Amino acid sequence: MAAAKTLKYVAFYFCLTLIAAVFVAPYVLAFFGAFKPASDLYSSSPWAPPRSFYTGNFSAVLFSDGFLRYLGNTALVTGALTAGQVGFGVLAAYAFARLEFPGRDGLFSVYLATLMVPNVVTIVPLYTMMRELHLTNTYWAIFLPYTLGVPYTIFLMRQYFRSLPSEVFDSARTDGASERQILTKILVPMGRPIIITATLIAFVFGWNNFLWPLIVTDSTSQQVLTVSIAALQSSFGQQWNLVLAASLVALVPLLILFALFQRQIVRSIQLSGVNR
Amino acid sequence: MRPGVGVRRLAAALPFIAPSLVGVVLFLLVPVVIVLVLSFFRWNFLTPPHWVGFANYVTMTKYDHVFHALAVTAYYVLWNIPIQTLMALGLAILLNRNLPALGFFRVLYVLPFMSTPVAMAVVWSWMFNGQSGLVNHLLLLAGVHGPDWLGSTHLALPVIAMVSNWQYAGYNMLFFLAGMQTIPPSLYEAASIDGASSVRRFFRITLPLLNATMLFVLVTDVIGSFQIFDTVYVMTQGGPASATTVINYQIYSTGFRNFDVGAASAMSLLLFGVILVITFVQFRFFRTRTTYEVS
Repeated sequence: MAAAKTLKYVAFYFCLTLIAAVFVAPYVLAFFGAFKPASDLYSSSPWAPPRSFYTGNFSAVLFSDGFLRYLGNTALVTGALTAGQVGFGVLAAYAFARLEFPGRDGLFSVYLATLMVPNVVTIVPLYTMMRELHLTNTYWAIFLPYTLGVPYTIFLMRQYFRSLPSEVFDSARTDGASERQILTKILVPMGRPIIITATLIAFVFGWNNFLWPLIVTDSTSQQVLTVSIAALQSSFGQQWNLVLAASLVALVPLLILFALFQRQIVRSIQLSGVNR
Repeated sequence: MRPGVGVRRLAAALPFIAPSLVGVVLFLLVPVVIVLVLSFFRWNFLTPPHWVGFANYVTMTKYDHVFHALAVTAYYVLWNIPIQTLMALGLAILLNRNLPALGFFRVLYVLPFMSTPVAMAVVWSWMFNGQSGLVNHLLLLAGVHGPDWLGSTHLALPVIAMVSNWQYAGYNMLFFLAGMQTIPPSLYEAASIDGASSVRRFFRITLPLLNATMLFVLVTDVIGSFQIFDTVYVMTQGGPASATTVINYQIYSTGFRNFDVGAASAMSLLLFGVILVITFVQFRFFRTRTTYEVS
């Protein structure tokens, strides 16, 4: 009886490990591939670990025409987008959750309704607007549309802010605290978990964004990482060692973020589903 | 409320909502109006636009490529959503128990969600490459000569769908897990006493009580699935022979490669309409089914 039970557990965990291998394998293989010289990559066993960690692919990619610049562009644009989306989002979410003003609920329904608009519907008109404003090929064009406040993040934070005990806010007001003090001294510390969540969502969105930067930049000086990887892929077609190294440069920061914040990420995904 | 109080409250709230209001109006509402207006014009971004009435919509019904793109998209959604949802549900069932180290596995299953679609599409292109790809190397070990996956009009789209399934199965698993954890254990205990098998318990208790979660997962995934772009752009560029030209790719190439702004706008609105109808149908379908209240 006990032996049968042990066997069942072993089988269960073996099964879980196999599934985990499927999810992790592409990362591991890309990692192996990026550290192999081209000749080894085309050997008969592409799944084998590199014999020595050959860094030639990375130096070739990193110091090739402007790759470091694209990495910097992505970091800059993602940073601006994240700061704006979270900062302005906190302000709006606070107003919708904790302030009373005429038209509040009507306005919030308008925000919610925009969640139905698919991203691609706004791409053509946004490009037209950016052209008219002579903003194409600028950093502004890449991050501005997603920076002033995004309904989804506002919605997420509003739900959380509403669940905070209202006595804290009321007593602060009777003590004569200004809205600004309430925001910085009470709301932000108490809303920390959801603010971290919103920050992660904004960062990942900005880092991965592809279609919009692809359209709104055509010069190379403002190009972002995703666009340059796609371009590398089409121009270096079969030089997989180089494109794999470039892809890994884009993937690793998110991996580090995931390792650091996995608990918050898992919880925040569940939060975003349950609150709908 | 005394007159003046409302104005004062509005004035107090305005600094907080102003930035987001500017953002929502300027970058979401105004663009929807502009795209509607543009769909009635013929324009190439350069020469002055001229009014063509419904011509862009009429042309859309006459040319196969729009319907082809919609059909390809629907085919992709069918390869993506059912498998992805079943994978997510299966993973949630596996992990929804009290055993050690399951949190660790949960994290590993969610990991692909955090990858950059463009970068991961490069990695998968390499693995599914016809000549030097890892998949075909593995098949060769079994004595099978693998096909040119991404060069085949039959296989390219399912491969792209599989990449999406890999990326989002674990992510969706989290919603099902969260849903399962709200089901009171007493329901299962009562069913066990009545002699219900585990399969029966799943179909009679778990699945009906996951109705709301299922609706959320399906609605958000279908909306996302209809807008697939990055993976297609990197892995196949819509090819071979337009076998993977999904609607988003068609809109992109119409608007930004052929510079036919009016047609691209009309197509965007068509996609918007399709997504609205499907979302509405999903809501109707799940509302008519019995919902259970658990206190």
